[in-house]
This record gives sequence, C-alpha cells and structure tokens, in this order.
Amino acid sequence: MRRWAHRTHLVGLLTLAVAACAEKERPASKGGIAVTDDAGRRVTLAAPAQRIVSLLPSFTELLFAIGAGDRLVGRTAWCDYPPEALAVPSVGDGMPPNVEAVAARRPDLVVLYHSGQNVPAAEQFERLGIRTVLLDLNLLEDLGPAARRLGVLTARRPAADSLARVMDSVASQPPAPSTRSLAFIVWDNPPIVIGAGSYLDRLATLAGARNVFHDISSPSAQVAIETIAARDPEFVAVLSDSTGAPRYAARPEWQVVRAVQRRRFLFLPGQLFGRPGPRVAEAVRELRRRLGTAP
Amino acid sequence: MKYVLLAVTALVTLAAAVLLGPADVPLGDIVASPIVWQLRLPRAVLAFLVGGALGVSGVGLQALVRNPLADPFLLGLSGGAGLGAVAAIALNLPGPWALPLAAFVGAVGAMALVYRLGLIGGAELDPRVLLLAGVAVGAFAAAVTTALVSLAEATELRNAFLWLWGGFSGASWTTVLVFVVYAPLPLVVLAAAARPLDLLALGEEPARYLGADVRTLKRLVYLAASLLTAAAVAVAGVIGFVGLIVPHLCRLVWGRLHRTLFPTAFLAGGILLAAADTLARTVVAPRELPVGIVTALLGVPVFAFLLRRWTVS
Amino acid sequence: MDRELILAVSGITCRYPGARRDILLDVSLEVRAGEFHAVLGPNGSGKTTLVRAALGLVQPIKGQANILGRPASAWGRRDLARVVGVLPQREDNLFPQRVRETVLLGRYPHLSLFGGVRVADRAAVERALVACDAADLADRWLWTLSGGEYQRVRLARALAQEPKLLVLDEPTTSLDLRHDMELFELVRGLVDAHGLGAILITHHVNLAARFADRVLLLAGGRAAAGGAPAQVLTREVVERVFAWPVAITRFDGRPQMTPLRKKEDHP
Repeated sequence: MRRWAHRTHLVGLLTLAVAACAEKERPASKGGIAVTDDAGRRVTLAAPAQRIVSLLPSFTELLFAIGAGDRLVGRTAWCDYPPEALAVPSVGDGMPPNVEAVAARRPDLVVLYHSGQNVPAAEQFERLGIRTVLLDLNLLEDLGPAARRLGVLTARRPAADSLARVMDSVASQPPAPSTRSLAFIVWDNPPIVIGAGSYLDRLATLAGARNVFHDISSPSAQVAIETIAARDPEFVAVLSDSTGAPRYAARPEWQVVRAVQRRRFLFLPGQLFGRPGPRVAEAVRELRRRLGTAP
Repeated sequence: MKYVLLAVTALVTLAAAVLLGPADVPLGDIVASPIVWQLRLPRAVLAFLVGGALGVSGVGLQALVRNPLADPFLLGLSGGAGLGAVAAIALNLPGPWALPLAAFVGAVGAMALVYRLGLIGGAELDPRVLLLAGVAVGAFAAAVTTALVSLAEATELRNAFLWLWGGFSGASWTTVLVFVVYAPLPLVVLAAAARPLDLLALGEEPARYLGADVRTLKRLVYLAASLLTAAAVAVAGVIGFVGLIVPHLCRLVWGRLHRTLFPTAFLAGGILLAAADTLARTVVAPRELPVGIVTALLGVPVFAFLLRRWTVS
Repeated sequence: MDRELILAVSGITCRYPGARRDILLDVSLEVRAGEFHAVLGPNGSGKTTLVRAALGLVQPIKGQANILGRPASAWGRRDLARVVGVLPQREDNLFPQRVRETVLLGRYPHLSLFGGVRVADRAAVERALVACDAADLADRWLWTLSGGEYQRVRLARALAQEPKLLVLDEPTTSLDLRHDMELFELVRGLVDAHGLGAILITHHVNLAARFADRVLLLAGGRAAAGGAPAQVLTREVVERVFAWPVAITRFDGRPQMTPLRKKEDHP
C-alpha cells in the first residue's frame, strides 16, 4: 500500500514538474496571463505585472489612466503626464532604449513602442529574462487595443476596457463637417507638413477642420512653400508649448502664405496633441474650441 | 555657336523655373502672382547663382589639386556647415538667419582648419595634403555633429539633416541679394586666376618658370573656391554633384582653357541646378524631392552621353 | 665686343631643408648672350638645383645669383619669365591639349591680367613653331606626338616667351639618336641665329662636347671643372668624376669620350 502511494506521489510530482516546464506552450493557465502583441509575439506573464517600465509617453499615460500608474518603476525622460509620472525614475530618452538602465529597475514587464529599432531591444530584454510587449501607437485606432492589452497584463481589465470603449467611440465618430482649413507645419527648411496617414490629421478631421494636405497619404512629407501658399489654409497649426510665432514667420518668403502673414497660428501643446493618448477626446474638444474662438 | 546655345538654354531654364511649379498659376496671372514674384523667381535666380558658384568653384578646385575628380565638398566644407547648423539648432539661436549664418561660419571654420593643415609641410599649400586634411576635417565634423544629434532633442536635429541634404525652400529676394553682394569678389579672384591655372596644370615648377606666382595662386584659389562653396551651402545645404560634373562637361565641350571654362561652368552649373530644382518641385507634386538627388539623376546621363560623343570623335 | 651678361651665379651653396649635406657647394657660372653652356655630371650632382637656384626658386645659403644684373630673388616671376625660358625635367599633362595651345602658354608672361591674346602673340607663336621646325605639328594633339616632336614643341613654347636665355633640363632622355642630334642642332642654331644664351643639362657628354661653347662638370655638388670642352673633358677629370675608365679622342676638333671595358682594354 505504501509503495503504491509513494509511486503515485512521485508520478504526481513528475506530472507537475512536466506541466511547469511546458507552461510556455500552453495557453494561459490559472493565474497566468497572455496577450499577442503587435509584433506577433505571444507575451505571457505568470502574474499581473507589478513592476512596469514604460518606454513611451502615451503608454505611461494609458497606464495611469487605467489605474496601474502606481506600478510604474521606470519611464522615459519624455513622459511628463500625468504629473504623478514625474515621480517615477527616468531610464533615459528611450530612443534607443537604455537596456542597462531599464534592467536596473528590475521590471517584470517593459512596454515598448512597436518600431523597427525597438524589436532588437525587446529581444535583448527577453534574453535577460525580462518580459516585453511591443504595441503600435500611430493612429487613433491603436489606442483601444493598446489599452485593452495593458489592462490584461496588469489585471485592470474593467478600467482598461471602459477607457478603450471611450477611445474606440472617438475613433469611430464620423468626421465633423469641416468649417475651417489648416496645415500642420512641423519644420520650415525644408517645409515639412503632416499628411493623412497621421494622428494629427485625424484629430483635425474630428474637430471639424480640413487638413489641406489630406491628399498626401503618408504621415509627413516635404513640400514647397508655394504649395502651401496655393492651398491657402486658414490656419497654420504648430506643435509648440509656447505661443510665440515660429522662427520662420518673419522670413520674407513665408509671407506669401496668408495664414503666416496674418499670424493665424494654432499653437498646440505637445503634451496634449503631440501623441495619441487617453485624452484624445479632450484634444479634439480643445482643438474645436480654438478653431471656433480664433479670430 | 556653342556659346549662344548655352545662353539660350540658360534663359529657357529660368523661364521654365518661373512658369512651372506645384501650385497652379494660370498664365494670365503670372505677372501679378505673389507666388511667382516672391517664391518662384527668387528661387530660380538663387538656384542659378548657386549652381554657377558651385560650377566655378569646382573648376578652380580641380585645377588647384590637379585632380579632375575633386569636388568642392571634398574639403570638409559640408561637414563644417552641418556642424554649424546643428549647433545653431541645439543652442536654439534666435532669428530667421541663424541657420544659414551658422552653417556659413561652420564651413569657413572648416576651411580655415584645412588651410592650416595644408600648410603643415611648409610655407606653401600642398594640394595632396589639402585633400587629405579636407577628408579628415569633414569626418571629424560629421562625428561631432552625430554626437550632438544623439545627445540632444532628436526631432529638430533630424529635420536639420533634411536641410543639409540640399534645397532651395528658403529662397527669398533677401537671400538672392546677399549672394549677389557676396559672390562677385571670389568670382573675380577666380577669373583673374584663369591663366595661371592653365599653367598650374603643367606642374608647380613649370608654372613658376612660365611666370605664375604659384604660392599666392594656390592660396587665393583655395580661399575663393571655399568661400563660394561655403556661401552655397549656407543658403542651399549640400548639393554635391554639380561641382564635380560641370567642370568635366564644360571641358568636354569647350576644352581646358580656364578663361572659357569659368564663364561656361557658371552658366552650365546654373542651368543644371535651376533645372534640377524645377524638377524637384514638380515631379512628385505636391511633394518635393531633395535637390541633390535630382542633380545626380540629371547629371550622370548627360555626362555619359557627352563622354561617349567626344571620345568617339 | 663684350656680349651681354645674362646670368651670373657666384659661389652659391645650397642645401635642401632636412638634408644632411649641401647639394651645391661654392658653384659659379656665367652665361652671356650667344653662349651655349652644357652642364654635365653624374646623377645627384646638383645640376637641376643649380638651375633652380639661378632662377630664384631655391634660396642659396651662400653666394649670389644675378640675372641681367639684378638678384634672382628681386625678380617677379612674370618678369623673369620674359627673360628666361625653361624646359623643366618633369612636366605633367593632365588635360588633353593641342600643340598651338601649348606653345601659346609661353606667351602668358606677356599677356595682361584680363586682356586677350593679340595678333603679336599669335605671330610670336608661329615664329617659335617655325624656328623649332614644328610648324607642321601645330594642330596635332599633344598625346599623339613622338618624344622628339614633343621636346621640339616644348622648346617652341620656351621660345614663344621671347627670352634671352634658354634653359633645358635633360631634354634628351629617352630620345633616339636622330632626335638627340636634331635637338642639339636646334639649340645651337637658335643660339647662333638669335644671339640667345643657352644652358643645357644633359648626360650626353659627347654631344655636349660637340655643340657647346662651354662645359660645367659637377660632381657631388662641386664644380669639378669648367671651361671650353677641350679643357674640361680630359681623361683625368672625366675618370675622376664618373669613376670609370675612359679614352678621350678628338672628332671635329672636340674631345669625345669612350668608356672602356674594365677587364680587357688597356689604356
């Protein structure tokens, strides 16, 4: 009788051991979490992430917005919202990620923006035994899925799903009838404008403004000043925290653009407008307000 | 005659640059349109002047270093200009002229450094040392620039690099005026050096025996060519193909005498760059290509065609 | 009648920077109009340096070089180029050119800074081509010429400078017999017909002896002997300078040197 019990005990132990080794290949077992990230990788955690390093300001915002901000142990130098984020230690500017600085924070999850440069960085983290998740965040439509997956990884699903619903609803809003026209000019020499493939263009559409360069499908493009002048936008939108006219506004050749000559600039703070984030609805409202109240 | 053809081509190119563009300006409105007067015309004129300056500078430089493969940007000027521009952005220097001025200062700084290094063997400029020093200074400047870019605010500096790849977006009548006031002196110096440069092609000692003051000649030609190039970079970024190919094209058609080479290189360089800029503006409208790419795409087939014709004869 | 003294080099000593020894030591030379001087000597004996120092390209550390009475260092290069026409030992030809263009380069010392080429200049070019027996080559490309033709064209270029003195630095290396003779005859003819002075640096001891009025023999930077060929080219002097046994014979009243074979011949 005893020998049989021992044997069962041993077999039981062996089974558990095998089960433990095979955990990677099995779907999420009880207590384990899994998502598929935007690089096609299956990311699994044994338990909800407790020590998170975020390598993109938008992810930092999202994590705070779903109530997981207290679990952040590292952020980039650019992560400045919400104010509580500033208390989290910085691990550098994140471009490219400073692997050592991040590892020194002993995270159990690193959230990275899905770019070509970050894929090798993610592999480096994995080799150190640190789990990573690569998420897209270029368009409005990326916000909902990102929030949902972060919710799964941090076991904050209810808050994350409700936030995702809000962002999805903004994304699925029909474009408002456009009453104003604008151009986003991000650089002057050579002139670089924002096109249809970008978040800013989408914000404009939602706020009832027509991006005069909406016909350019890429997120940004170099154009000639005369093209801007010919399309004659009512406003020139500038991503800037200050409200002083940009440097090029004084140059003679830019006066051909009426909006520049009349100093009809929209100064959009980078924190709110520069990146997709949970405050997208607020951004749209703010932009609408400025377009409406601008002279 | 060949000269007449060249002059006519110049006029046609300038006309095309004014008439064509991404914005649709109807023919009747041309005279009144601010787009034409404030943007296209100064841009066409500036492109022509810069192209001419680069062509002339290329001729002078190839004669100075006695190497037909020399390009004005081989002497570290582009590296210096890039460093100046990046420094201006990193330090957030104010004013709309900060960038071109800083690029110019950077280019001149590189010129002075290369000059000093070129004198290292003795009291005279050694053209071989000049070339090596130019490459070294250029590489050094590029390294410092890259370090600055990687340490500072990334986006703005990345856009600064776009500027460096060459373009005439910043053209205005003021820029044209500055160039017109500045360029004649180096151009006259090079014109005066035309005959001595013919002699220099024989070698420094034979040139001396034929009456050239080689020591002064080398210094003046180096300074004049570099100053022209520095001004070109300051207003238009690095457009690297013109100074190399235009002298060859002109030599193929007009021979090697510098009295003919300088004026024809000026016109030919102007034509090439004005045409390239027009194409850069119109080919992928509403978008715009960097001018340096277009000059390369235009220049190579033209050169190959001419080379074939004249080696066969 | 005292002929015009064109070049007067007295006791010059030269040393290149960083060199261990003097390349020239206490060398003197006087060239008058209508005189054909040959400068001979083994390799490295300072022949080219002598020319450079005489014409102000190299500063001597001792001694003086005067051209038409003025120190060489006081001459501007353009002015000097109107008095002395030089064929240097080495010359580049980076870009293709025609013969007429090349000879025209010799007129550059006479052209004003921005002025054009005048009728007189073109006439001088034609005269120079004729005098050097190269008129039929005028429209040829330089690279198509033979060695001898090329040297004649270079000589025409020097003549186009309308100089008083011609200096030729080893113009006959790699030329054949006929072209050697033609070149020496040409120089002799120019000296006789136009009263030019000429200095010819050469390895052709025998041709120098036949054609030159005076010979300067350099050895190790010093003047081993100078004077009429018969005085300079004696067996003792030649054997000492060239470190080889020779026999001296006479041809046409001039000494001719025949090197001996070391094993069999006996002096």
